[in-house]
Amino acid sequence: MTALQQAFETAAQQWRQLEESKTPVFFVGAATCGRAAGAIEVIERLKNEIKKRNLQAQVIEVGCLGPCSMEPILIVHKNGAPRLCYGNVDPERISAILDRYVAGNDPCPQWALGRMTQGRIDGIGDIADHPMFRAQVRHILKRCGLIDPENVHHYLANSGYRGFLKALELGRDGTFDEVRKSGLRGRGGAGFPTWRKWQLCRQTASDIKYLICNADEGDPGAFMNRSLIESDPHSVLEGMLIAAFSIGAGEGYIYCRAEYPLALHRLETAICQMRRLGLLGSNIQGSGFSFELHIKKGAGAFVCGEETALIASIEGRRGMPRPRPPFPAVSGLWEKPTIIQNVETLANLAMILDNGAGWFVRYGSASSKGTKTFALAGKINRTGLIEVPLGISLKDVIYDIGGGVGAGKKLKGVQTGGPSGGCIPADKLDLPVDYESLTASGSMMGSGGMIALDDDTCMVDIAKYFLSFTQAESCGKCPPCRIGTRAMLEILEKIASGRGAADDMDKLGTMAQTVRDASLCGLGQTAPNPVLTTLRYFGAEYEQHIQKRQCPAFVCAALVSYHIDAERCSGCTACVKACPVEAILGERKKPHKIDQSKCIHCGVCLDTCPEAYAAIYRSSGSLTRYEQRKSGESKS
Amino acid sequence: MSSVNQAKVNPEHKHKTPTVKLTIDGRVVAAKKGQTVLDCAGENGILIPHLCSHPVLPPFGACRLCLVEIEGMRGYPTSCSTPAEEGMVVRTGTEALKNLQRNILSLIILEHPGACLLCEKRQICDEFRPDAEKAGSATGCHSCGSRDSCEVRRLAENLGIKELPVAPVYLNRPIEKTHPFIDHDPNLCILCGRCVRICKHQHKTSVIDFTDRSSRTRIGRAFDCSLIEAGCTFCGSCVDVCPTGALAERYAKWQPAPDKSVKSTCTFCDWACELEFGIKQDKLICTKSANENIPVCALGKFALAEFLNGSGRLHSCYVRTDGILRETDWQEALAAVKDRLWNYRGDKFAFICDSTGTLEDRFIFRKFTRDVMQSPNYIELEGADQAFKRAAVPAGVKAAFISGGCIEADSLSKLEVLIIQDCYPSEASGRADVVLPVRVLAETEGTIKDRFGRHRPLLKACEPPKAAGSEWMIICRLAKTFGAEGFNYEFVADITKQLNPPPAPPEIQTGQTPGPAQDLKQMRTHFRGHRIDGHVGGLRELNAGPEPAPVSMPAQTKGTFEILDNRRLVPNTHEIVIRAPQVASKAQPGQFVIVMVDEKSERVPYTLCDWNIQTGTITIVVQEKGLSSRKLILCKPGSKLAHVIGPLGVPLEIKKYGTVALAAGCYGIAAIIPVARALKNAGNTVLAVTEARTGYLLYYGDRLRELSDEHVQAAIDGSLSPRGHAVDVIAGRLKSGEKIDCVIAIGCPFMMMLTARETKPYGVKTLAALNPIMLDGTGMCGACRLTVDGKMKFACVDGPFFDAHLIDWDELKDRRRAYSAEEIHSLAATAPAERSHTCARPINR
Repeated sequence: MTALQQAFETAAQQWRQLEESKTPVFFVGAATCGRAAGAIEVIERLKNEIKKRNLQAQVIEVGCLGPCSMEPILIVHKNGAPRLCYGNVDPERISAILDRYVAGNDPCPQWALGRMTQGRIDGIGDIADHPMFRAQVRHILKRCGLIDPENVHHYLANSGYRGFLKALELGRDGTFDEVRKSGLRGRGGAGFPTWRKWQLCRQTASDIKYLICNADEGDPGAFMNRSLIESDPHSVLEGMLIAAFSIGAGEGYIYCRAEYPLALHRLETAICQMRRLGLLGSNIQGSGFSFELHIKKGAGAFVCGEETALIASIEGRRGMPRPRPPFPAVSGLWEKPTIIQNVETLANLAMILDNGAGWFVRYGSASSKGTKTFALAGKINRTGLIEVPLGISLKDVIYDIGGGVGAGKKLKGVQTGGPSGGCIPADKLDLPVDYESLTASGSMMGSGGMIALDDDTCMVDIAKYFLSFTQAESCGKCPPCRIGTRAMLEILEKIASGRGAADDMDKLGTMAQTVRDASLCGLGQTAPNPVLTTLRYFGAEYEQHIQKRQCPAFVCAALVSYHIDAERCSGCTACVKACPVEAILGERKKPHKIDQSKCIHCGVCLDTCPEAYAAIYRSSGSLTRYEQRKSGESKS
Repeated sequence: MSSVNQAKVNPEHKHKTPTVKLTIDGRVVAAKKGQTVLDCAGENGILIPHLCSHPVLPPFGACRLCLVEIEGMRGYPTSCSTPAEEGMVVRTGTEALKNLQRNILSLIILEHPGACLLCEKRQICDEFRPDAEKAGSATGCHSCGSRDSCEVRRLAENLGIKELPVAPVYLNRPIEKTHPFIDHDPNLCILCGRCVRICKHQHKTSVIDFTDRSSRTRIGRAFDCSLIEAGCTFCGSCVDVCPTGALAERYAKWQPAPDKSVKSTCTFCDWACELEFGIKQDKLICTKSANENIPVCALGKFALAEFLNGSGRLHSCYVRTDGILRETDWQEALAAVKDRLWNYRGDKFAFICDSTGTLEDRFIFRKFTRDVMQSPNYIELEGADQAFKRAAVPAGVKAAFISGGCIEADSLSKLEVLIIQDCYPSEASGRADVVLPVRVLAETEGTIKDRFGRHRPLLKACEPPKAAGSEWMIICRLAKTFGAEGFNYEFVADITKQLNPPPAPPEIQTGQTPGPAQDLKQMRTHFRGHRIDGHVGGLRELNAGPEPAPVSMPAQTKGTFEILDNRRLVPNTHEIVIRAPQVASKAQPGQFVIVMVDEKSERVPYTLCDWNIQTGTITIVVQEKGLSSRKLILCKPGSKLAHVIGPLGVPLEIKKYGTVALAAGCYGIAAIIPVARALKNAGNTVLAVTEARTGYLLYYGDRLRELSDEHVQAAIDGSLSPRGHAVDVIAGRLKSGEKIDCVIAIGCPFMMMLTARETKPYGVKTLAALNPIMLDGTGMCGACRLTVDGKMKFACVDGPFFDAHLIDWDELKDRRRAYSAEEIHSLAATAPAERSHTCARPINR
């Protein structure tokens, strides 16, 4: 029996034991996101409490289940009861759950997100019915948050490496056919059909070929890849095995940014496990296929996510893109045919092989098959990592999964695709989330950032924000990107500061087109998207900034002034004390006044003014905005 | 290195390469397989704009200018990186492409001081100012030493750049002038990467590379070390491929651009590299490797022109009479040689030379020694290695004829007669009886033998200084003076025919990287017995090694006039406050001072921009143009100037004119401050119009707004509104019927000439403030002579203000260029400390 076969048996046994455990098992979501929310403190408290109570119990660190706004997440296994999932746990809640549920009979439904397994508990529904999960189809993320990412047996017990073994059965060509039939497209952003890329590489004669996993996730706000690697590293590595096998690569690199220490640690652990199980090295599982894996830590330059820059970086050169052709699939790393796939693309492969292309194409739209993960963020009620079938409407994502915008706010639009994407206005929310539709709208799928914008978001400011990111991340090689983005930013800053000229929108548009059409690589070609889409859909807002010198979202500091409503002001001096430039004059019990010549528009007074008074109002051009006054009762 | 190399055709397989047919702009053309669309188009006379692409370098695709449309390909591929393929349909000149190219180039010009490219008066300016101004920092084409070779400029003209989308910026990066030979101005760099790539291509390493990213991307060395520390061998190929003035040869950059090129062989050493000489009016301006794939050493690249044009060159014959070497002509000199040597025929005579001369020269030397002097003592020093050798005179020899200076000092005293023919004076020539000037290096012709025994041609590329002659010709004439036969050679080729063994047909290319271009230690230090670095400043710095050069001049402490403040207003322009109580107490608007930084400095006039009787200080605004102003700008507060003489000149007549329009540019913006103040106090309405190439060069806006009734800032490139020159604003007012009673122009002569020309039709009184080259400033020397209304005037005592409509501007322009050659030489000869400075102060925007 091979080491792998043995491991499969052990895995099945281990998993069964876990499922049927007589003693309690606590699963704590401790990926980076969970840790940021306090998961480590939760684990510590949990262990202390268990020790204190002399409990026979296990604590298992799992990955990320997805709902960021509900982190840290704890799943409790209690013998004879369905597993329960709790959100927003903190050390206090831990003690309470131990007291009331584990030791007692109160499942604490007020903190529970749902049941994870079959069974009945009053007041706690199936997690699948939770609004955050209801519309999701979790394939890529199916193990995330449920297994110990550092225990390969958990992976093996949950259909791990079955796809790869299937691939070995099908052979190189059969595997390729299966991927071709699946219609899988690259999840890194551009959506290039995976099989086409492979075909080019397979057709190129070379004794050495490389496979690179692009884990250089760099979009601000995007964390799908990190989460996946931290929660289920083997799913990506299995995908690499399948891809390498099919294209004939003998060596692979994982290009992962150094800012992802936990992901790197989990990859290193997983690679060791693979080696032990005979899943790496020469003649893997007696198939004649040999494969070696290396990790290359990226230094965090956004442009290194671009294929040719990434290759240059691995080769030890400056991460600067080069023109194509030749395409990396023909001449890439060390001038050898090289396939570069995004983390999520690779994670899809194991499922496609395991379940068959026929299963895969059941999900998604006509041209965009399968599911896609998104990092849902912004002015939305439920944020987090989600997975939906492609073709789902934006509306379903924003309202059903995300729960819409905050009370009293209006959704203004959705930004997709990170700094390379664009802003889709609220009235276009019926748009299906697929490659073609998003591109036609002027945005793009990107790697999966999705940011909801409400009426407190200024579209000029949003464009400025994303452009300042790409501008700073430009490698500096080509002038359209290096100088064009800077010049565009200059115009945006001019508009945002109330110095906009009538022809600035035209200039901005022309320059954006030049940068888009003339830049060397994807970074530059897509950098103008935030500007182009906001100009296209929110042109009126630009005009307001330029012509009326007003920012309707009250964001652009230079266009917003702060005032005190003398009738509302009680003279509490809170704002007087808080103002960093001593611009507020006033005595106790007398209405205060802001000296406009001193005011730096920082907004601290607005934040300080007690909600009961809400005496500070803002004006921008002819617009004024008061904050909602909350009565004294509701305050307590 | 990179796979993109594949797109380049290996020249060895050219004839075997199959061809493909493609259509470019409707024409079916053939391309070698693998050839890029850009190269193929170029071969067929279809010119696609490009900047980063270079014939010997692999495609880089950075500048994006060579975009084309190719049917079936998405977007606009770059023709430099796209291989031509069978059946391809390419379009190059569509309106969409032209627009895109214009937009890209406009973006490049935003960060490349190119305001001159947008100037509507460029043509008049080019005629009035044929040479670039020797400014410290180039802020436009007219202060850039690479103006005539600049590819950005050429492209901008071809594509017709009319305006910029936003105001340009000055990158404000320290200009590197402390490297040997090379000035690096990163503010002019367009990051085409040619320098980085040629270094990799030729040396298989990268001394320089891109550093930092986004707007901060620049070309630099690791850890910002110096070029010497980075291991640069100063082959200068990076300078040769630079399409702008970012990398420039310090010696050549201010010289007029060459109009002719000649290929010949370098004879500094026996690697005998093939060089391409840039010639202007028979003068050698610059050199470079004739083979762009192969570097040459620093001697070939940088030392040749400076060595040949050195001010110390022997250019006349000298004969010692009464113990003193006196200049004479050839006839007399040769007669003197015969006279001195006649009695030493036989073995008392020796002829000494080294092996750097041509085969023909040495053939004649030998023949002269044997046939005319009947001596066996022909001594030829082998100079194969770089070690310097000197010959000792054989025992019994009392007279010697030496070509060069390679003789042992001890031997000199044993000689009764010494004849020297050489290019530079040496210890030996100082003791010689007769000294004859010779042509060397690119001034000579003939055949030489390289270190591999190959014969290499030497073609005359430039003219020698004055009387210097070819060595073979001198000796032949000398032989005839002796009455010898067999020296009737008219051309060097006549001698070549007689060489034994006859030289093989010369090969012009070596195809090999010369040792000294890879390893500085292999570079020759001596030529004909002279230390080469004695005549080439850059070599001295190179040999001195990587010592950090001080960034400012050591403070002068000897003088009387203390500098209290020195700050940069805008690039190239400094405001300097000097303690000079007596000048301050007497100063009046329009007057100037003459400043000498130290006792040996040039005397330069500067208009008084402000003064304060209470504090006893004066303010001048100095533009860095040439060595003297640079020295002044480098003076730190606390240092003392040797002399500040003034106030000089006739003050401006302050009275009530009515409405006075002041037109000011460059230093004049500061110079109109006291004028505006006085005129305003006298009850005039003052319109102050200042101009600059671009917005970031304007200063004193607030002060002038305060001092004048109306202040207008005009930018020639349109970065500020109104666009244009100051006089455009004034002429516009005049045209619209506005009443202006007097126009006063202060700025560069071009700007004042322009003002005079434009105001003339309106008959408005126009004054210009002239401060041409001056010496004493008191009307004695006449250096500042000019013609006004047909009469001779001295700017120093009759001026500075003259009726601008009556000034002979052409004469003024020509007189300003009188010392151009000396100015250039002094700039190249300065020490690193005098060249470099960093201005910490950020520019005013």
